[in-house]
Amino acid sequence: MADTMGHSATATRNTRLVVGFCLLAIAPQIFELIWSIGTILGWGAGRGPGTVVTSHLTALLAGAPSAIFGSFGGGTQKMSSEVLLALIYSYPLFVVAILTIFMTIRSAQDYVGGIVLMALALFALWAGSDLQGMRGFSFGAGTAPRMFGGLLVALGAGIALTGLLTEGPGMAHYAWRGPLFVMVSIVFFALAIRPLGVVVTAFASFMIAAMGTHETRWVEAMIVGACLTLGCALLFPYVLGLPMPMFPRFLVQ
Amino acid sequence: MFDLFHNLGLGFGVVFQISWWSPWWLYGLSLPISINILMCLIGALVGTLVGVLPGIGTVATVAMLLPITFGLPPVGALIMLAGIYYGAQYGGSTTSILVNIPGEATSVVTAIDGHQMAKQGRAGPALAIAAIGSFFAGCVATVLIAVLGAPLTKLALAFGPAEYFSLMVLGLIFAVVLAKGSVLKAIAMIVFGLLLSMVGSDIETGASRMAFNIPELADGLGFATVAMGVFGFAEIIRNLDAGAEMNRDLVQQKITGLMPTKKDMIDSTPAILRGTVLGSILGILPGGGAVIASFASYTLEKKIAKNPSRFGRGAIEGVAAPESANNAAAQTSFIPLLTLGIPPNAVMALMVGAMTIHGIVPGPQVMQKQPDLVWGMIASMWIGNLMLIIINLPLVGIWVRLLRVPYRLMFPSIVIFCAIGIYSVNNAPVDVILAGVFGLVGYWLIKHDFEPAPLLLGMVLGPLMEENLRRALLISRGDWSVFLTRPLSAVLLAIAAFLLVLTVLPTLRAKRDEVFTESEN
Repeated sequence: MADTMGHSATATRNTRLVVGFCLLAIAPQIFELIWSIGTILGWGAGRGPGTVVTSHLTALLAGAPSAIFGSFGGGTQKMSSEVLLALIYSYPLFVVAILTIFMTIRSAQDYVGGIVLMALALFALWAGSDLQGMRGFSFGAGTAPRMFGGLLVALGAGIALTGLLTEGPGMAHYAWRGPLFVMVSIVFFALAIRPLGVVVTAFASFMIAAMGTHETRWVEAMIVGACLTLGCALLFPYVLGLPMPMFPRFLVQ
Repeated sequence: MFDLFHNLGLGFGVVFQISWWSPWWLYGLSLPISINILMCLIGALVGTLVGVLPGIGTVATVAMLLPITFGLPPVGALIMLAGIYYGAQYGGSTTSILVNIPGEATSVVTAIDGHQMAKQGRAGPALAIAAIGSFFAGCVATVLIAVLGAPLTKLALAFGPAEYFSLMVLGLIFAVVLAKGSVLKAIAMIVFGLLLSMVGSDIETGASRMAFNIPELADGLGFATVAMGVFGFAEIIRNLDAGAEMNRDLVQQKITGLMPTKKDMIDSTPAILRGTVLGSILGILPGGGAVIASFASYTLEKKIAKNPSRFGRGAIEGVAAPESANNAAAQTSFIPLLTLGIPPNAVMALMVGAMTIHGIVPGPQVMQKQPDLVWGMIASMWIGNLMLIIINLPLVGIWVRLLRVPYRLMFPSIVIFCAIGIYSVNNAPVDVILAGVFGLVGYWLIKHDFEPAPLLLGMVLGPLMEENLRRALLISRGDWSVFLTRPLSAVLLAIAAFLLVLTVLPTLRAKRDEVFTESEN
């Protein structure tokens, strides 16, 4: 009884991991899609979301397999970057995801850690795939990245393997509140510093970051935030001589 | 020998240099100040503060203050950053002894016996011995840097690209061997760091590598940006996991009688000496630096003590040895940086970042071309140690009071300070977002039990390694055996291979883990 329960528990864990790895395998494509939505609103000059979806889908479904079989036929036409992404990054990760179904994972912490490192290395290999390799006996721009990328793939696989072979801790618990508000605060700071200036941005970011814990007392936080803002507004531009905008642009003009 | 005095004289001359300061708000009036002494004092103060406060590490602080040094003269900037590093070793002992909260990883073992002493009402002698030990170790280490500096530089100048590459491999292997936790994971982190260092323009061909046509990435990932993310932001996020309120039961009674008794002095003198020697050696070796030095010296004291059961119950040797060792190691770890240009640990990696910000390429040529910088820094260490003993002993009450600052107010302040700091380096908002992303990466790394320090080391050494590898192979016309046929390079690689084999052997692994076990008790 206990045994079957344990088994079903690992089974559900594994399916979650498999889904996670599949998502990881198409994460760059999803990221580009989200990025491309901005072009509808007129930000940036990338491809529209429609083209992004179709080009990646064809690359994933049709382009890459034909490239593989085409290479047997001796065809050496230049492959598009979508097809390369599918070949170098997505397919190996899909394979890993499928293999995960059949594994008993002894230490999820190591296993997932190793696989994600592998994914990072594969991504780096893809990102460096357009670079020139060895030219005679001298290194090209792409040689060293490829060397280290390959090494990291191997190391990631090794770490994942230890996660399969030796007992170890499972996945750690992730909190959401701290990371979320700290990140929102950082992103807000980055977006607001140019138009709004140090005084407004620093104070607002302070208050956003303070939301990262439920223990914050607001009056106290506001006083400290105001003091810190004042301190930074004096320290950076005046004492250290680093020029930065102080007040919102629309007020200055 | 004469050279040594000459050099130290030059160093002290640099430190005591008087310059006239005429700020605009004094309307033409000038004040005589010594910028370098001032920087040394600021560094020592900030270092003590960081050491006292748990939740901010040395690496994070140096990363945070890196952008600030932008507007300072290079000598002053480096003196200040160095002061933070060894200052934190002093400050860390204070909270370990009084509150049983190590403010710094390097004083974790000090807490074991130090806090017991405080509970027995002997907090004063414990603090005094920690400070005296640190001061003694600091003085010895300063002399050691001065003595070893010149000959090592001469040796380094004889190095060709092949030797340099092998030396860096050895350094990275040392970092793996002396790091805590899995060897495989540490190597993976180094390679990850190397890979990150490849982003941006290629040094030789100028081709843009892995930059995705993002203009901010064309110059490569900023070193300060990654360090601030992985150490600063990630640490904050991680600390928030545990809840902002940390358990801080202060030892409330007044500290009376700072002076240790005669018996204390007799007991601790050999421990201080042993700690200093061990710390100095471990500091020079790349990898662990101050952290492993303190653990190792505590283990050593326990091993050779006549009555080991006293340890953990307030043995003064258990305070004296690790405190001397961590301070010695913190300072001697400057030796490989200043002479060979190779940073042995994460803080030194940040010092490389600080040097590059000021346009100084670390390496043996620094000592010849800018002797004032190197010797000024060495001389400032001795002065800094003197300042620290004053800052720490009579003013100990003030520092303890600082512990009452709650983390819920501290962490947003650190976030904002970091954000403004990163922004000010290049006036680039993208850098701030990148640091945030690396904060999340760092948080993930912590959750999966990866050490971020080797990553930073790999990132700093990456461009150097690639350059020397390429150069060595170009000279040898693509012949990889050059690394083995040149004797010096072969020896270095052999040591590296030997070390790696040793760590994989099970018996030695057990020994290595034993050194770190004290932290879990």
